[in-house]
Amino acid sequence: MCKNMPPLELAIQFHGHICPGLLMGIRAAEFAQKHLGVSQDYDEELLAVTETNSCGVDAIQAILGCTFGKGNLIFKDYGKNVYTIASREKNRAVRIAQKFKDNHDPDSMRYRQLNHQANLTEEEVTEKENLLAVIFEKIMSAPFEEIFNWQEVEFQFPEKAQIYPTVQCLICGEGVMEPRATKTEQGFICPTCIDDGGI
Amino acid sequence: MCEANVYISRNGQDELLMEKVDRIVPSEENSIFMENIFGERRVIKAKIKEMELVHHRIILEEIRDEPVNRHLELWLEPDTDHGHFHPGEEVRLKLYKGYNMRVDSEAGFSNLQAFLVNNGMVQEIELHEHHGMMEIHLNQNLDGLLQVYVREQGDMELYATVLVEVGHHHHHGVKPAGLPLEIMPCDYSHARLGENYEIQVLKEGRPLAGAEVKATYSSTQNRDYPHHLKTDEDGRARLFLTARGNYLFSVTDESIVSTFTLIKSF
Repeated sequence: MCKNMPPLELAIQFHGHICPGLLMGIRAAEFAQKHLGVSQDYDEELLAVTETNSCGVDAIQAILGCTFGKGNLIFKDYGKNVYTIASREKNRAVRIAQKFKDNHDPDSMRYRQLNHQANLTEEEVTEKENLLAVIFEKIMSAPFEEIFNWQEVEFQFPEKAQIYPTVQCLICGEGVMEPRATKTEQGFICPTCIDDGGI
Repeated sequence: MCEANVYISRNGQDELLMEKVDRIVPSEENSIFMENIFGERRVIKAKIKEMELVHHRIILEEIRDEPVNRHLELWLEPDTDHGHFHPGEEVRLKLYKGYNMRVDSEAGFSNLQAFLVNNGMVQEIELHEHHGMMEIHLNQNLDGLLQVYVREQGDMELYATVLVEVGHHHHHGVKPAGLPLEIMPCDYSHARLGENYEIQVLKEGRPLAGAEVKATYSSTQNRDYPHHLKTDEDGRARLFLTARGNYLFSVTDESIVSTFTLIKSF
């Protein structure tokens, strides 16, 4: 890559395709950056709490750099398109919640119907493509407050992600993070072997 | 039993389209949505011809798309996947003929001429045949924003133009190449997905108001151009870019078809 990619392109490349959920996540991530006055995270200066595991989270990861691997993406399985983005340096956090009414947009409803339908006809493939283009423009050009509610919130910052020693499992011989292993008199046993009935 | 079998009338025969349909919703643009008790769904361009409720039969009549007035057109695309070339890199462009960025393999080329416009200087350049494709190779040590256009003269006069970026950060404006019918970007900068892109149509160097400009992209599934724009009094039209890859803008006026390829880096 010989040019810096803008946020939208970063997110699409990371996610693999363009879809309404990802675009909503892009709007949320860009708003958080602007509102908090932050750029992409390098080493856990930012923290994201996501209340969904749907497409939009990939935009949070790609644009804000709050990732599963770095440990600054906290997932709460609430099934809500809500993201709380916090900056350690600014000691501020903003909670961004997608407005419910947008779920009833006729174009979005028809798009979802086609998206879940197997074996689309040629006409339906075209219809889906055209609907996505309409939804794309609608999401990216809508005033932010039309699609999201947001508010600054108090935030308790957890400590930065810890690095723990790796120990060897007595049964499978694989390495496992020490706090995740079960300590026995003979040695450590990993969760996989415990789940498999190893002890 | 209250479901019906849906048939479509084709060539005087009724062909079974879907069994045990329990929901039919006629929608806009002459299409009919149907769903059966197994959860199968289908949308078809048709109208209801007959309903035999006693026999649980619904017969549709297919509506065929009106034939589109499709003039063949030329367009140029760069042989690069990231939107620009680097200084010293060979600049290769491919010339295509077809419609809506779909190549018509039976359409041949004749009376082709290609030109390079660089810093206001126009020079004729060679077209090469390479594995049955027409290509332009710019081997010179070029840098900056290059304007390339190809002309084919026949019953219809076809033009294809493209702006090729060699090196980075060329944000300056470009001047018209002086074609009889031409699509120009209004303010050349890196075109981005999720942003508006504005073009201007010029006829003999003057803005052409009220012209229909069609726009498409290489990944479209549409049989015809997905976007139809109309130029304003200053010959300008805008399109919100929603697809990855290159876009093609096309305008027709009398016997001239002129295209402009917008190269995107993503």
